[in-house]
Amino acid sequence: MSPADLTAELEQLHAAAFGWALSCCGWDRSAAEDVLQASYLKLLDGRARFDGRSSLRTFVFGVIARTAREVRRRAALRRWIPLASLLLGPEAVDGRPDPATALVGADETARLMRALGRLSARQRQVLHLVFYEDLTIAEAAAVAGVSLGTARTHYERGKAALKKLLEEEPE
Amino acid sequence: MIERDDQHLNKAFAALRRKDAAASPSFQATVAAARARRAGVPRRRDLGLAAVVVVAVIAVVVASTWRVQKNDRLVIDLATVRWQAPTDFLLKLPGVELLRSVPQLGPRGLDRRIL
Repeated sequence: MSPADLTAELEQLHAAAFGWALSCCGWDRSAAEDVLQASYLKLLDGRARFDGRSSLRTFVFGVIARTAREVRRRAALRRWIPLASLLLGPEAVDGRPDPATALVGADETARLMRALGRLSARQRQVLHLVFYEDLTIAEAAAVAGVSLGTARTHYERGKAALKKLLEEEPE
Repeated sequence: MIERDDQHLNKAFAALRRKDAAASPSFQATVAAARARRAGVPRRRDLGLAAVVVVAVIAVVVASTWRVQKNDRLVIDLATVRWQAPTDFLLKLPGVELLRSVPQLGPRGLDRRIL
């Protein structure tokens, strides 16, 4: 795939990719932007190369998920080793919502976000990929890096837990 | 994939998707920010590597200096610290020089003709 084609494909996927980055960063907008930028750099520089074994959408989402994990790991390392900030650069993600996100009102989407925040990370990921990104469970499993059976379990349990949480959440 | 009774979840996620999409930065702005970030990364990394090299050099210098000082302390010249008691002469036996040499018979040794 030529760089121009890749850029055009990424532009098509951009809104969905941003949504996925938000989910990976716990709806921390600035962290999601950082992760998305780092992911685009990997893709455009050829450090993450698409080999056609999956759909480009699945591949890009996988790169974003891995990048978010790396950023979280670096943030944790930075907390323990002060000198690491010189090598790793400024802190980007700590996994918590930023103040603007935390102040989101009690609308329908805020209820959903609060309920999602109470699920396990894997359940949240799989539900997001299936309902938000319209992926199949098999594709969600590939993005999350788990087996199909595990993804199916997370999907079923997560869905039941989310429904229960939404019923319990005040309107 | 999505069951019929999940439609309300589907609607809720669709609303969330619309909200996120409305607030998402443009693709061009994201790529431009990513490229600007890439331009800044090598400088920061160089700075970090330079800091690590400086720390390593300081550690090597300190370690070698410490080793030299340690070696200096260990070198002891025994000749300068040899002590002789004033009563050492009492331990010297008379004719001790004869005990340290093999006795010889005459100045030329033994005469083979008389053996």
